[in-house]
Amino acid sequence: MKPSTILAILLILPIFSSAPVYFFGRIGMLRSKGKPGEIAFFLALASVLITFIFFALAVNEFFKTGPIDIYYGSIKLSFDAISLVMSGTLLLLTFVVILFSPVYLSEELNQEKYYAQVLVLMTSILGLTCATDLFNLYAWYELMAISSYSLVSFYCKTLEPLEAGIKYLVQSAAGSSFIILAIAILFGGTGEVAIPDLQNAVSGNSTAIIASVALFVIGYGIKAALVPMHFWLPDAHCQAPASISALLSGIVIETGLIALLRSLSVFKNTSLPIGTLFLIFGALNMLVGNLSALRQKEIKRMLAFSSITHMGYIVLGVGFALTSATSAQMSDGIFIHIFNHAMMKGLAFLCIGALFYYLKIAHGSREPISVEDLNGISQHYPLFAFCLSVAVLALGGLPLFSGFISKWKIMASGAVASGAWNAILIIFLGLNSVLSLGYYAPLVNRMYRIKGAGADVIAEKQTVSKMIIFPLVILTVGIIFFGLFPMVLDRFSEAAKNAFYTMFY
Amino acid sequence: MISKIIIFGIVGLMGIGIYCLMITRNLPKVIVALQVLIKGAMIAIIYAGDISGNMDLAQSMALTIIVADTIVAVIGLALAIQAREKTGSSKIQSISNLKK
Amino acid sequence: MSLETLIPSLILFPWLGSILVWAMHDRNEKRIHMTASVVSIICALVSIQLTFQIGNQKIVYYTFGAALGELSFSADAMGVILVLIANVIGSLAVIFSMDYMQGERNLSRYYAMILLFIGAMSGLVLTANIFIMFFFWEVTALCSYQLISFYNDDPNAVRGGLKALLMTQFGGVGLLFAALMIFNQVHSFDLNVFAEAAVNVDIEQGVLALIGFSLIIAAAAKSSQFPFFTWLPDAMEAPTPVSALIHAATMVNAGIYLLSRFFPAFAAVPAWKETMIWVGLIGILLTSILAITTYDLKRVLAYSTVSQLGYMFVAIGSGSVLAGQFHLLSHAIFKALLFLAAGAVIHACGTRDMRSMGGFFKRTPFVSTSFLIGALALTGIPILNGFWSKELILESVHKESSTLVLILMLISVGLTAIYTLRCFKMVFMGKNDYAHLHPSPPAMKTVLGILSIGALTSWIAISWFSESLKQTLPYHAIESLNVTEMAHHIFSDPITCFALGITTIGFLIAWLLPKKEFPESLLKLSANSFGFDSITSGVVQSIIASAERIRCIQTGILNWNIFGLMVGLLGVLIILFMGR
Repeated sequence: MKPSTILAILLILPIFSSAPVYFFGRIGMLRSKGKPGEIAFFLALASVLITFIFFALAVNEFFKTGPIDIYYGSIKLSFDAISLVMSGTLLLLTFVVILFSPVYLSEELNQEKYYAQVLVLMTSILGLTCATDLFNLYAWYELMAISSYSLVSFYCKTLEPLEAGIKYLVQSAAGSSFIILAIAILFGGTGEVAIPDLQNAVSGNSTAIIASVALFVIGYGIKAALVPMHFWLPDAHCQAPASISALLSGIVIETGLIALLRSLSVFKNTSLPIGTLFLIFGALNMLVGNLSALRQKEIKRMLAFSSITHMGYIVLGVGFALTSATSAQMSDGIFIHIFNHAMMKGLAFLCIGALFYYLKIAHGSREPISVEDLNGISQHYPLFAFCLSVAVLALGGLPLFSGFISKWKIMASGAVASGAWNAILIIFLGLNSVLSLGYYAPLVNRMYRIKGAGADVIAEKQTVSKMIIFPLVILTVGIIFFGLFPMVLDRFSEAAKNAFYTMFY
Repeated sequence: MISKIIIFGIVGLMGIGIYCLMITRNLPKVIVALQVLIKGAMIAIIYAGDISGNMDLAQSMALTIIVADTIVAVIGLALAIQAREKTGSSKIQSISNLKK
Repeated sequence: MSLETLIPSLILFPWLGSILVWAMHDRNEKRIHMTASVVSIICALVSIQLTFQIGNQKIVYYTFGAALGELSFSADAMGVILVLIANVIGSLAVIFSMDYMQGERNLSRYYAMILLFIGAMSGLVLTANIFIMFFFWEVTALCSYQLISFYNDDPNAVRGGLKALLMTQFGGVGLLFAALMIFNQVHSFDLNVFAEAAVNVDIEQGVLALIGFSLIIAAAAKSSQFPFFTWLPDAMEAPTPVSALIHAATMVNAGIYLLSRFFPAFAAVPAWKETMIWVGLIGILLTSILAITTYDLKRVLAYSTVSQLGYMFVAIGSGSVLAGQFHLLSHAIFKALLFLAAGAVIHACGTRDMRSMGGFFKRTPFVSTSFLIGALALTGIPILNGFWSKELILESVHKESSTLVLILMLISVGLTAIYTLRCFKMVFMGKNDYAHLHPSPPAMKTVLGILSIGALTSWIAISWFSESLKQTLPYHAIESLNVTEMAHHIFSDPITCFALGITTIGFLIAWLLPKKEFPESLLKLSANSFGFDSITSGVVQSIIASAERIRCIQTGILNWNIFGLMVGLLGVLIILFMGR
C-alpha cells in the first residue's frame, strides 16, 4: 500500500464508519430489548481497532521515510511526528473509552449517537493534527467542536448538562469567529493560507500582525483552556459523561493547543514575544487551576480544574521552548506530558465514572460523586480505589508514576536556558505541584478508610463487570510502566520535538 | 472609501456581536449575537479574498464557514430550547447553576 | 555476589516483595507477616554483603532517557552505611511488627509500603545521579505519608500524614531546583561531575551558593529541622515500628546524607556552614525544651530525634562529616531501640500518655532495661555508642566553631539529660495503676535485645568506619581513627568533662523536678511548637482563603465568561504591543 493511501484511510475511516454505527445501532436499539447499545458498540470498537492498524502502518512508514503527505486539490495534509504523538494518544484513549462505555452507559438511551459522535470526534482530531493550512486547521477544529457540544450535553434529561453545553458552545463559537478574523487578516495581506507559504510571507511586527496573533491566541486559547478563557471547561468537563470528560480533558484541549502552535508557527520570522505570552499563560493556568480545585467537593469538577493546571504545565513547557532555542532542543517533555496526562486524567475520570455507575446509577441516583462518597471504598471496590489512587498521585507528580517524569522533563527544558525568570517559574511549578497534592492526597486517605460514610449504599455491593475493569487496568499499568521506563517513549517524543523545533526555529 | 466602509462594517458587526454577548440576558438573543459575530468574520474573509485577488479560495472558505455556523446555530438553539423546557424561562440567570 | 547484582537486588527485591505482599490482600494474616519478614531479612543479609564491596567501581546500567541521565550507582561508604542501617533496622522493624501489628486490617498495604520504602531508601543513597536521587527522595516521601496516615479513620493521622507530605515536598522543591541548576551548570546529572566542577571552581560562586542553600532547605525539610521541625512530632500517629524505621533511623537521615555528600562542593561558600550550624542549633534548643514539656511518650522521642539530627547538622557545619556520620549510625541504633521499646510499652498498656503510665520497671524488666540502655546512649553516658559520637561532635565544635555555639551545645546536652530522665521516671518508675498488661511477645524481645547489643557495641567499628569513609570520599577531608585514637581524642579534650558534668546536673534537675503539671500557658505554647504551628496553619489558612476568593471568578454567568475572554484579548494585545 502506498503511504498516502494509508494516511487517507486513516483519516476517513472513523468518519465513514460513524454513519453505519449510527444506522445499525439505531436499528439494533429499536429491535433489541436487553442491550440497546451492543451493535453500535461492537461496530465502533471494530472501527477503532482497524483505524489503529492503519495508524501502526502509518507510524512504520513515518519512521522509514519521514512525514507522509497527501493532496486533495490544493489542500495538503501531512502526517508528521506531532500528528503521530497526538493520534497515538487519541487512539489509546478512544480505545479505552469505547471499551468502558457499554457498561457505563447501559442505562442510557441513544447510545448509537454517542458512539457515532465519538468516531466523528476522533476523525476531526486525526485530521486537525495533519492539517497544513490555516483554514483547513480551522475546519477540522470546528468539526471537533461541533461533535463535542452534544456529547457534553449527552445527559439531556437534566438541566446542568444542557447549561454546560450551551456555555461551551457560545464561548467556543465566539472563539471560532476570532480565528476566522485572524485568518482573514493574514489571507488579505498575503493571499495565502498554507502555513509554509505564510511563514515566508509574514515578517515584521505591524499592527495587523499583532492583531492576528492575539486573535489566534484567544480563539484557540479558548479551546486549550488558557486562563482567563477557561470558564467553559469546569462546567463542560464535570457535566459530560465521565468517558467523554476523559476524552475532552485527555486530548481535546491539548489538540486546541496544537492547533494554536501550528497557527502561531506562521509568525516564526517575526520578533513578537510569543514565548513570553505562553509563560504568562502557563503560570496563570497553574495558579488558577490549583487554587480553584483546592476546595472542590465534587470530584469531577476538581479533576476539571486540575486539567487547567496540567495545561499550565504544558503551556509553560511551550513557553520555555519558544523563548530559548536550547530549551526547544529539549522540549520533548511537552509531548510526553500530553501523552501521560491523557492516561492519568483518562484513568481518573474513568474511575470516577465506574464509581458513579456502581454507587449512584445502579441505585437510581444521578447525584455527582463527591469527595465524601469516596470514604472507605477500598473496602468494597479495592481495584477502583487502587486505580484512582494511582491516577491522582500520578497527577500530583509523585514518582513511580509517569506524571513525575514528564513534569521533570518540562522543568529540565526550562533549566537548560539560563535566566532568572526561568528559575522562578521552575520553582513556581514545583510549588504548584506541592499545592496540587493538597487536594489529591486527601482523596487517597478517604478511599483507604475502613469505615465509610455511605455504608448503606455500599452494603449492597455489585459484582464489577470485567468490561469496566479492563480499561482501568490498561491505563494503570501504562502509568506505572511509563513511570519506570520512560525511555520507551523517547523515539516518538524526540521526533515530535524535532518537528516542533523546525516549526519555530 | 469602499474599503473603509467594509472594514467599518466588519468591526461594527463583530463589535455588536461581542457587546451583545456580554450584555444580553436572553438565550435566543445570545445565539443571534453569535451569528452577528460570525457574519462579521465571514465578511472579513470575503473582503480579504477581494483585496488579495484570491476570490475562489475566499468563496470556498466562506461556504464552509456558513455550513459550520449553521450547524452551531442549530445545536445551540436545540440546547436552548431543551433548557427552556426544563426551567420555563430563557433567561441566562436560569442557567447559571454551575459555578465556583 | 558481585556489585552488579547486589545493587539492583537491594532495590528490586524489596519492591517485588512489596508487589507480592500487596497482591496477597488481607486473606491470610500469618502468611503476610511471614512473607514480609522473609523479604526484609534477605534484604538485610544482602546489605551486609554489600559492605564488603565498599569502594568498588561505579556501575552504570542504561540511559534513562533524555533530560534524565544515566541510571548509575556507586557503592561509597557513606551510602553503604545508610543502606545497612535501612535494611537491618528495616528487617528488625518488620519482625517487631509481626507482634505489634497482629490483628490489624490492611496489613498488606502496611508491609507493601514498608518494603517499598526500604528499596527506595537503598536507591536514594546508592545512586550517583541526582535525578534518580530526587526520584527515590520523593518515593520515600510517598511511603512516609502513606504510613503516617495508615490509620485513615483517625483524622489526626490523616492530618499528620498530609502535613509531613506537604512539608517534605516543599523541601523537595529545593532539591529539585538544586538538581536542575546543577544540570544547567555542568550539563550532567552525575554527582561526581558536579563535585569536581565545584571543587575546581568551574561554577560561578553566586550560582553555587544558590544551589547550596536550596540543598539546605531540602535537607532541613526532610530531616525535620528548623523551621520545618513541626511535621515530625505530628508524624507520630504512625504505627510505632514505622516511627522507629522511617522517622528515626532512616528517612530523616536523608537530609544529613544529602548535606554530607555535597559538603566538599559548598564548604567554601560563605555562610553556608554557619547557616547549617544555626539551623541545627535553633532546632536543638527549641525541641529540647518542647521534649521537656510534652506528656506524649512518642512525641518526646520525636523531639529528641529532631534535636539529635540537629547535632548532625552542627557537626557537618563544623566541618566534621565523620562525626556527623558516626552520630548518624549511633543515633539510628539507639533511637530505633528507644522507639521500639516505647512501642512495646504502648503495646502493653494501650496509651501514649506518660501521665497514666508508671512502674513499668518492675512489671516488664526486659523492655525497661533496653529502654534504659537506649536512654543512656541518648544522653551520652560513657561507653555507649551515643557517648562517643556525641563527644566527637562536641570536639569538632570546640575546634572549629565559636564559643557561643559551644556553650549552647553544652546547654543542650543538659536539656537532653533532663527530658530523657523525666521521661524515664514517668514511664518506668513510680507506681503502676494497671490491672492487666499485655505481655511482650518473643519477637519484640529478640529485636530489642539485638538493638541493645548494637547500642552497647557499635562504637567499636570506628576504625573500619572512618577508614572506609576516608578511602571512598577523597574530597571530604576525613581522618581515619581507631578506637584508642578516638578515646585519646575525646578524653584529652576538657569539653568531655564539661559535657559529663552538665549531663549529671541535668539528671539531678530532672530527678528533683516537682511532679506538678507545668503551667497552662507553657503547655499551650509547647503544644503549638512555640508558634511555629500557628505559622504553618496561617499559611494553610491564607492559601485556602485565596482559593475561596479565586473561585468567585467562576461566576457561572455566560456574560461574565465572555467578558473574561475580552480581558484575555486585551491582556494579550498589551503584552504584544509592549514586547514589540
